[in-house]
Parts: sequence; structure tokens; C-alpha cells
Amino acid sequence: MNSFVLIKQVPDQSAKAGVNADGTIDRAKAKRMLNPFDCFALEAALQTKRLYGATVTAITMGPPPAIEILYEAIAHGVDQAVHLCDRRLAASDTLATAYALYNTVRYAGDFDLVFCGLQTTDGDTAQVGPQLAERLQVPQVTYCESFEIQGEKLIARRVTESGTQVVQCPLPAVVTVANSAHRLAYRTLRGVQRVHQLQRDEVERNQVIQTVSLDDIQADPARCGLKGSPTIVAATEKVGEIGGKCVLFQGKPIEAMVSDLLADISLVELVQR
Amino acid sequence: MSSPIRYDLLLVGGSSSNLILAHRLLDLAKLSGLKLSIAILEKGQQFGAHIVSGAISNPHVIARLFPDYKENGFPLEGFVTDSHLSVLGADKKWDLPEKIVPKGFKKDGYAILSLSHVIRWLADALQTKAKEIPNVQLDLFPGFAAHEILYDHQDRVIGVRASESGALNDDAVYADYTCFGDKGFISKDLVAKFDLRPNPQLWSVGVKEVWEVQEDYQGQVWHTLGYPILDGTFSGGFVYGMAHKRLALGLIVSLDSQNPNINPQQRLQDYKSHPWIQKLLTGGKLRKYGAAVIPEGGFYSLPTRFAVEGALLLGDALGVLDVASLSGVDRAMETGYIAANLLHDTFLTQNFALMEHYQKQVLESFVGQDLHTSRYFREAFLENRRLLEQYLPAVTNKVDQGHPWLGSLQYGMGKPIQRTTDTIRALNLILGKTKSEEPVTYTSCHESIKPEFNPAAVAVNTKIAPEILYTRPDAVFFAAPKYHEGNRHIQEFSASTCQECIATYDKLGRTTPCVSDCTAEVHRIDSFENGRVHGMSLENCIQCRTCEIVCPRVNLRVNPTYEGSGPDFYGL
Ligand SMILES: Cc1cc2nc3c(=O)[nH]c(=O)nc-3n(C[C@H](O)[C@H](O)[C@H](O)COP(=O)(O)OP(=O)(O)OC[C@H]3O[C@@H](n4cnc5c(N)ncnc54)[C@H](O)[C@@H]3O)c2cc1C
Ligand code: SF4
Ligand code: SF4
Repeated sequence: MNSFVLIKQVPDQSAKAGVNADGTIDRAKAKRMLNPFDCFALEAALQTKRLYGATVTAITMGPPPAIEILYEAIAHGVDQAVHLCDRRLAASDTLATAYALYNTVRYAGDFDLVFCGLQTTDGDTAQVGPQLAERLQVPQVTYCESFEIQGEKLIARRVTESGTQVVQCPLPAVVTVANSAHRLAYRTLRGVQRVHQLQRDEVERNQVIQTVSLDDIQADPARCGLKGSPTIVAATEKVGEIGGKCVLFQGKPIEAMVSDLLADISLVELVQR
Repeated sequence: MSSPIRYDLLLVGGSSSNLILAHRLLDLAKLSGLKLSIAILEKGQQFGAHIVSGAISNPHVIARLFPDYKENGFPLEGFVTDSHLSVLGADKKWDLPEKIVPKGFKKDGYAILSLSHVIRWLADALQTKAKEIPNVQLDLFPGFAAHEILYDHQDRVIGVRASESGALNDDAVYADYTCFGDKGFISKDLVAKFDLRPNPQLWSVGVKEVWEVQEDYQGQVWHTLGYPILDGTFSGGFVYGMAHKRLALGLIVSLDSQNPNINPQQRLQDYKSHPWIQKLLTGGKLRKYGAAVIPEGGFYSLPTRFAVEGALLLGDALGVLDVASLSGVDRAMETGYIAANLLHDTFLTQNFALMEHYQKQVLESFVGQDLHTSRYFREAFLENRRLLEQYLPAVTNKVDQGHPWLGSLQYGMGKPIQRTTDTIRALNLILGKTKSEEPVTYTSCHESIKPEFNPAAVAVNTKIAPEILYTRPDAVFFAAPKYHEGNRHIQEFSASTCQECIATYDKLGRTTPCVSDCTAEVHRIDSFENGRVHGMSLENCIQCRTCEIVCPRVNLRVNPTYEGSGPDFYGL
């Protein structure tokens, strides 16, 4: 069985990200991390390894530093990785991204399941997974919370607005994983050891982590990057400060803090809320 | 099935001792071409995350390894320019005249360190160094603790278990040789298995805060005696001026106290309420809080063997801190340095019998010599309890009255002949001026506690700026503990034992040692309909191990955590 998991490196939101004068993210300055939503997809893919003996391939599209998240995925137990890295991909929107990823998935070979995170924290569109499924012409299960495989079928529970829904579909399929699914298990000892080994040994690294260009995956450059992206960002606006006033009560005995709190906002106001 | 995870050498703990060991060994391997694979396990999420120290240290070992340490980016907080030993009354401070300050507390010229920064730097520099040495394979595993020591059929140490997937082959790190620089966290099991420590270790706990203050005190250091602990407990305070207008201050309190309710974190707040310290902190901001234990038994708490088949003990795990000068850092480093020299030759010749020289070499080095000189230091205060119970309070009283000398005089005059011979004997023991080699026997910390002990009342200064004081739950915030879901790293062996203990202390109107002496806000007593029960808020724990050491019924075990969970001491 082959599972693919699509992951992305995003700016670390907890770090002070560099912001350009026009409000866009200065990606060179920003600290980077694995897209938090992708952690759930990664865990789902690793479950297929643990439960069904699947070989797990992590796929990412991004500039050279994105190899960091592939190392991270390997530390968690992923077997191999494909890194689509090509300058011509810069400024891809979801249409161009899904197209490039579609070609990467095809390049990576046969699969039974492709797991995607729900969305990214830098784009927040939640479109890439579904677009990819359409291009691959396979069934898709979105907002998947848990699943099992029975024979050639995927049985999945998905989160809906009103509760949950159990669906089934044939394999291969694309699954976008909800953030109410299993939390990503900790790095494994063997995984971390393997990362050390790959960082030391270039030959082995190139075998385990394939870095590919648009030409390698036979994608049309005209359909990638800025050229292939019909989305136009008209402008970005600063939202300004949101939220009301925040008062912290601290450093006093609890009774004193409670009475301070009561003195500060009227109970009526509290009840009305 | 996948192959086992194997290394030539396994270092448990990203410690001062182990990192110096690794640096030295890499330097030697670079010269000799020795082929070697090394793994280092560190339970903190990052190197330095679980490290608290003072620290004032003689930089001799660092200088030996890094002759250019003043220029190469090594994190220094400065050098001591003004060193004082002071006695604190509740109100005033008396700096002892230079002439009578014991040698161990003359710290001029010593390096001022934030040990957590030093540890991170040493780990980073080690990785850089390893890249230049193709014959060495070095793998660092921050966020992975050793949880269990593994032995073969002949009781030779063959590695440790470092994760809990359930498949030993994936969880074990095997090695030809293992070095424990883990402050006893897991090596206590090795010590117990081979019955290496007939005389128990005496532990103290150090609680420490780092402040950003208004004035620059870089290079000024004070070690203090007296206020706020005057109940006979062996203790002392420190204030170290760091770079960038930061101040480290802390209190070290021995856990072989008779007092069942020390509450070190709150005693540190009392310490800060001293007018002299209040003044230093006025307008400042607390940045970090942390705590760790310190092995004080010294010479007579040393294990009978420093190495067993397949493994050795380093630094605090071995117990080489010199209590007479509060020097642990350079001692730990020296044990690492000595071990590295021997390990290099051992791996080169594959003759593991060479490791038998470790004990002798440590004892012959300055580490062993100082331990020997200070061999009766702790005993002096145990043998003559009046020193701390009466003499010190008398002096602190006089300090407040402005006549410190009178305090010592008065005490000596009380029962002139006996007191003077007593005090002279004590002084000789403290200063190591005795020929005696008679071993001493210590009472372990938990056995020293007397539930009914009545500590002498200490007048705490009441004119306090409240903003410099922190409750224990608030202090926890500054140690920034973070735990993964499902963490359960402290074991309580028997609930009924706790209930008996609680009943004992309830009857006396006190709380149990675990509740009072915890340096974070972990242990608590919950009242239910069917009785009072011991409970724990493990998410607050900062992993100092005090509770395990003071539990009078030896009913707790603090295990290393999984997933790198725990405090973030970086900056302490
Ligand atoms: C408050 C305080 C003040 C002090 N002041 C001074 C001073 O001014 N000068 C001085 O010289 N000394 C001082 N000391 C003592 C000094 O800090 C220690 O003696 C010294 O750091 C001991 O070094 P070590 O190599 O034994 O271990 P440490 O440097 O303490 O390191 C132990 C490491 O092992 C890790 N570890 C533990 N268990 C495991 C496990 N099972 N698996 C993986 N990793 C593990 C820990 O996380 C930690 O990183 C002070 C100590 C304290 C607490
Ligand atoms: S843990 Fe120890 S000190 Fe705490 S209540 Fe139980 S027996 Fe007493
Ligand atoms: S619970 Fe024990 S180990 Fe944890 S902070 Fe409290 S005393 Fe220290």
C-alpha cells in the first residue's frame, strides 16, 4: 500500500514574522514551520503505515528551505519524500499549485491514498486538496476525522456543520484531514536517527528525498507560478487592532482578584453577555 | 524487523560533564583518526532547557578546551570583579572582612555564566565540530530521555530505553559504553542495582530567579548566610550581577533539614524582602524562575565505584560538587574531560579495562583533592548543630544591631571553654584542617525530617514592595513548563501510605513535605467525603526532584518525561 501526504512549509505565526511594506509576508525573514493543519494529515498517513504497513511518501512544493519539513516528516516516520522546487513556481495560486502538485503526485507513482491538510495557515483557502482530487479524477473525502480501510474501500467519518457523517469510497482516493483527527505522534528515535544520517550522507539523501523541477515532473511552466495563476490580489489591507480592552488580574490572592474583577465590570454586564 | 539502534558511545544528559566529554573526545579523534559513533540523549526539548545553575565558575576547564573562549562567541556574563561573603540579618547586611572569608568563597576573576546558555552553545559548537571530522558520527537527540537502563546477562550496561513505542528494538539505544551525566535522574537505578552508595547522598535544592534591573551590577557577586533561614537548616543565598543589567539571585536550602515545611520558593521571596535585595530589584522585572537539586554529601557520599561494566558516572550523578566553594560546574566538566581521555584510548585499543583508571584519575585530580579537603564540611554542621541553630542567629541579630563581631563573641562567652573548643573543632573541619580520615555516616534527607519540628520564628521584613514577590503558582509561569497530553511522570507508589502521612501532618496542623517543599505548584491534598488524598498537578512540575527526596515515606518517584516535556529554563 502506498500513502502520500502533501505538506507545506509556512511562516511561523508565533514568531515575529517579517512583513513587507505592502503587507505581504517577507518569507525570507519569517521563521518557518510545518503547516499546523498538515500535522493531522501526516498522522493519518503514518497510521496507514502503522496499521496497514503502507509506505509513506511526503510531498512538498516550496523553495529550498522546505526540505526542513521533509526532514521533520522523516523524523516522524515517513519513508521517503519528493520536493518540488522550482523558481518558476513562485506566486502560484491554488489553481497553479494544484496543477503542479497533481503532476508531482503522478511523478511519485501509484498511490492508494493521498492525505492533505485541511488548509494552510498562510493561504487559508482549503482549495488545493479538492482541486487535486478533481485533477486526479479520484474520489475525495474532506474534513475526515477518522478512517479505516476494508479491502479496497475507505470508510471515513467526516465532520459536518451539524455533526459527523460516515462515508465510504473506493481506493485510490484523496482525503483532507480535519484538525479534530488524531494529534501527530511524537518524533521517533529511529526517525530522528535517520534524519541525522541523511543530513550527513548526500548520496543517501538524494535517494530518500528526491528534489524535482517542473521539467522532471513534465508540468507546463505556463500553467505554474504567476503566469498560471488567474487569481489577482487587488490589495491587502491592514485590519488594525481588533478586540476590546483586556484587563489582567494577577499577583494577588484569589479573593482579592475576584473582588477587583467584580469592581471592574458590573455584574449586569456579565449576565447580559 | 529493523536493526537495533547502536552507537559506540552513549551519553545520557546534555550536561556540562557530557558536553565537555564529547568536545574533548572529538578533538582527540580528530588527531588520531579514531572511528567513533556517539549519541547524546537530552530530556529537555532543547539543549539547556532543563539546566539551572548559579553560576560562578573557575573557567580553567573551558579555557583548556577553548583557549580562545573570550573571543569565540562562548556565552559569558562577565568576570567577577567584586566578591563578597555576607551575613544577612532581617534588616542589615554585613560583608565579612576579606581576611576572614574562606578561600572557597573568594571568587574574584571567576567567570559568571548562565549555564543554560553555555550548554546550548556547547551543543551547537559540538555539531559544527563533528562536521569537520569524517571519522566521527555524532547524533544529538534533544527531546529524548533515558527512561530505563538496559543490561545484558552479565549485568553489563548495554544502553537505555529512550521511547515507549512498545517495540524494544525501536525504543532502545544500545552502546558499547554509556556515560551518565544525568544528575542521578536515571543513574540512581544503577547506583541502587550495584549498591554503590552505602552512605546516602545529601541533597539541597537551589531556587533561582533572573531579573532585569535598573542598574548595572555586572561582575559583583555576593554569597550570603543567615536571613531568611535560621532554623538550623544548612543554606545560603547568592546574588550575581550578569551582563545587560540582569541579576541572578537564589537560595540553596539543604533537604536534610529537620523542618518538614521548608517551602524553598517562598523562602526565596523572604530573601527578596530583605531591604538590600529589595533595593537591587526596585523597578526591575522578573524574567525567569527555576529550581534544581545539588548533591552536597561530597567525599563521604561518593559511590564505592565510579564505573561499572559498560558505564560510568559523571558530575552531579557521581557527586563531585565541592560544597565548600559551591563549585559543581568545573568539577562536572573535569570528570567529563578525564573520561574522554580514557574513552579515546579504550576505543582505540578496544581494551575496556582501561576505564578502571577513571576513579583513580578523578580522585587524583583537583576534583578529588578538593573533595578530600572538604570531606568534613557538611559533617561540621551536623555534628555541631548549635552552629546553625544558635550561633548564626546570634550573629544575624547583632548584624541588625550594627555590631556583628559582638554576636560571635557573645556566643563564645556563653560557655567559654566548651564552646570555644567546639567552635575551633568545627572551624578546623570546615576549613579542612584536620588529619582525621575517619568516615562519617549521613542520615538521608527523608529520614532527617521531624514532623513535629518547630522552626524558630524569623521576623520577615514587612515593608515590602509587593510587585517583587511572586506566589508559587505565579512563579511557575516564569519556568514555562509545557507537557504533552497524557503525561504522568511522577509515580506515587501507594495511596494509603500518603493517607497515613497526611493524617500525621494534619494532626500537627501542618502540611506534608511534598506539598510544602515542591518548588512549583504540583502536590496538593484534596478533601473528599472518604478522607484526604494526595493529588498532583503534573503540568506545573519543573522536574527538580525535591519531592522525591523529601517524601518521608519514599513514596514518590520523579521519572524523566517523554516528548521533551517540562520547563524551559533557557536563560537561567
Ligand atoms: C541554583 C544552583 C546554583 C548553582 N550555582 C553554582 C555555581 O555558582 N557554580 C558552580 O560551579 N556550580 C553551581 N551549581 C552546581 C552546578 O550547576 C552543577 O554541579 C553542575 O551543573 C552539574 O553538572 P552535570 O554535568 O552533573 O549535570 P547538569 O549540567 O546538571 O545536566 C544534567 C542534564 O541531564 C539531563 N538529564 C537528566 N536526566 C536525563 C535522562 N534520563 N535522559 C536524558 N537527559 C537527562 C538534564 O535535562 C540536564 O540537561 C549550582 C546548582 C544550582 C541548582
Ligand atoms: S507523597 Fe510522600 S510526603 Fe506526600 S503525602 Fe504522600 S507520603 Fe506524604
Ligand atoms: S513535583 Fe517534585 S519534581 Fe516537580 S517541581 Fe515539585 S518538587 Fe520538583
